[in-house]
Amino acid sequence: MKEESPRGHLHPITTIIREVAFIFDKLGFSVVSGPELETEFHNFDALNVPPDHPARDMQDTFWIKTKPGEEKKVLRTHTSPVQVRFMERIAKEGPKPFKIVVPGKVYRNEATDATHEAQFYQVEGLYVNERVSMAELKGVLEHMMKKLFGDDVEIRFRPSFFPFTEPSVEVDMRWNGKWLEMGGAGLVNPKVFEAAGLDSKKWQGFAFGFGVDRIAMLKFGYDDVRLGYTGDLRLINQF
Amino acid sequence: MKISLNWLQTYFETPLPKAEALADIFNFHAFEVESVEEIDGDSVLDVKVLPDRAHYALSHRGISREVVAITRQVLKPDRISNGPESTLSKKPEVQIEDTFFCKRYMARYAEVTEITKPNPHAQVMLGAIGQRSINTIVDATNIVMFDMGQPLHIFDADKVVGTIVVRAAKEGEKIVLLDSVAGADREVSLTSTDHVISDDDGPIAIAGVKGGKRAGVTDKTKNLIIESANFDSTSVRRTSTRLNLRSESSKRYENEITPEFTASGMNDVCALIAHNISESRFGPVVDVYPIKAEQKIIDFDPKYIEERLGVSVPLADARDILMRLDMGVSEEGSIWKITLPFDRLDITSPVDIIEEIGRIYGYDKIHSVLPPVLKDTVPMDKTFYWVEHLKDILVTLGFSEVQTYTLVPKGYYEVSYPLASDKSALRENLSPRIIEVITANMHNADILGVETVKIFEIGKVFPKSGEKVSIAIGVLQIKKKKGMTSESVLKEVIAQLEKMSGAPLGTSIDVRNGIALIEADISMREGGDTPEFNGKISELDSGLFSKGKRYAPFSRYPFIARDIALFASAGTNEETVRGVVQTSLEKSAGKLLIKGPDCFDRFEKGDKKSFAFRMIFQAFDRTLSDEEVNSFMKTLYEAIKERGWEVR
Repeated sequence: MKEESPRGHLHPITTIIREVAFIFDKLGFSVVSGPELETEFHNFDALNVPPDHPARDMQDTFWIKTKPGEEKKVLRTHTSPVQVRFMERIAKEGPKPFKIVVPGKVYRNEATDATHEAQFYQVEGLYVNERVSMAELKGVLEHMMKKLFGDDVEIRFRPSFFPFTEPSVEVDMRWNGKWLEMGGAGLVNPKVFEAAGLDSKKWQGFAFGFGVDRIAMLKFGYDDVRLGYTGDLRLINQF
Repeated sequence: MKISLNWLQTYFETPLPKAEALADIFNFHAFEVESVEEIDGDSVLDVKVLPDRAHYALSHRGISREVVAITRQVLKPDRISNGPESTLSKKPEVQIEDTFFCKRYMARYAEVTEITKPNPHAQVMLGAIGQRSINTIVDATNIVMFDMGQPLHIFDADKVVGTIVVRAAKEGEKIVLLDSVAGADREVSLTSTDHVISDDDGPIAIAGVKGGKRAGVTDKTKNLIIESANFDSTSVRRTSTRLNLRSESSKRYENEITPEFTASGMNDVCALIAHNISESRFGPVVDVYPIKAEQKIIDFDPKYIEERLGVSVPLADARDILMRLDMGVSEEGSIWKITLPFDRLDITSPVDIIEEIGRIYGYDKIHSVLPPVLKDTVPMDKTFYWVEHLKDILVTLGFSEVQTYTLVPKGYYEVSYPLASDKSALRENLSPRIIEVITANMHNADILGVETVKIFEIGKVFPKSGEKVSIAIGVLQIKKKKGMTSESVLKEVIAQLEKMSGAPLGTSIDVRNGIALIEADISMREGGDTPEFNGKISELDSGLFSKGKRYAPFSRYPFIARDIALFASAGTNEETVRGVVQTSLEKSAGKLLIKGPDCFDRFEKGDKKSFAFRMIFQAFDRTLSDEEVNSFMKTLYEAIKERGWEVR
């Protein structure tokens, strides 16, 4: 007789990505994906981060060695290039309003410690329609945080700068009496619509991005981001 | 950008809010304040100026305008007097060869009696913001730069030969820099994309980046040429990056500043030099400014304020905010013509105006609403669903999901500047790391309480043919069992997986050192239209959301496993024996007993019953010694004997 094997365990990151995908599915946001090995154009230029601009310093980048004449490639520094890829597709197929979420792995070329890792996960959201406001952005983010962390959380915006959104804000969450930085957001910069081939006079949108590892660490209580990538079942099998 | 509160106060008649309150005001209306420091009766705010606001806010002047906009405080008029009149006729010859690179160049000849040691006031001002005070002349240029944002440079007029020319560098042209490194001159070689300030004998400065030694100011300098200029951001950035010469000047140029402020920079620095050195005399100002900057006007429809922010801002308030930001607003029908201050190079379209109004008015006044339901929804990414579906199946089959690093020592795609040599390429497959992970977990099998290590990873791999989604599944059967090997367990699982997922993996099992492993490309293929790839998010297992589940930290130190086997009388109950073992160890080892006692063997022999238990000991803060555990065991043996049982 065969023994019934006990259930295995999903990685905590997967659990959070799934939970986020469930929450956004109910709001009509669908999951889409894109490549991790990205072109310079999609990772930077199309997102209003031109070459030789100080904004490029905001993200430490893993550049991939290329042969002369080849298009320059990077390990994507954020999930935002998927915004551009998706909008390029929509522009071709016929522009219409849409809501998407993009979970995925991203990379930063920086020294690692308990809160910094060279690879981590982000989840990106993008809503495009003929009329979109910061109030709707706040509504969606508050909804997400309440579903993830409980109804008593509060969120607030602080002014910030991302080349691909205008206005741009940092999003903080008040949880267990403390304000925590959770991610960045804003209204889609018209230059991004234009780069993707959509008419920026007609279309508006909001976009946001969060670190999945940070959410997992807060929710599950582990304190070293690197632990998630060791394959150590002493962590994973607890969930 | 470090901002001294005392310095900032010189802009205002009325007292500013306290440092902490000011930091809060900036945080919610302008930029993040990273720290507030108290220094000798001053407070210094470290303001994180991001690239968009760096055109204007890398100065106390720029920050003072934010204070006006946010707090409605009023600026002092005529804070800095007009610079000294010219009493000398001598003036430098200036020529701009590349007018794209240099939009404006001002130069002024001056005579000073002597360059003195820094005055105490300058020392305090510069010291507060973390800058070193050098001498009256250099300090004057730095104070003006940190005050109003214009970088300045001073040459020794007696060492400048002929005409000052702003031009592209010649390929291979060399210049010895003003600052020596550890007492040695530093010479750099330039390329044709760099720009220099040159005289008849060659370069005397790398424009906007660093002065040269030849015409540099020394203690003996008596005659000066004061430079205030505007250089192209991209070129300065390229040069300063390539030569690894980042300075406070280059930082301001690479963020682009307005040529309109070149003149006030010249005025202020001359005023300060005249103030510090009473017997200084100045020549006329030379101003080469081929194309005057135009004041930008933005057409703005105020109806967009509410439409974009989602909050109704009274129009009078919105207009007042813009005016406090030094913008001119005139109405033409329903449109606002907004005239921008020269230094607000960040504002190029109506959305930028929305941000200005929104942040000053306050994002806290925006209330949450949910966006409308759309008629069409976007189809979910098939690969995402397929991958999640596979994860669910593997978890039901007893497998745990791991994530490992994409960066590895070797691979087809290499990283240009790797963090470490073992992270210099993108992985071509998952298998090598999976074997390592299985081995590492094998050593913890007792703690994990498993007889078989069963893991999988699904992730992107990057072979020569390009990015793919790969799955690797690995099994290690640790405890020998009849008819069960790592390979047989994996085979069984693959059969079930293929049945449940409806798709063959298409590769074969590899067995190495007892570990059975399979890796397959599961990128979305042709024919991915079967139901397995087209489920709904809600069909994925959501029972795994660990509601309220918290991580219990584990020790990083080695553990020690011990077994005890004993004979008791036939009527003895397993729970009774376990209780005795547990009680004894709780007393002796306490929290060091992290797992067990678990009964792993029991049999009867005649009138005796045998039990075997396994216990795991581990400390959180150190490596546990054998001796320590031996002593727990010794106490345990005594407790067993006391019950009349026999340790085997």
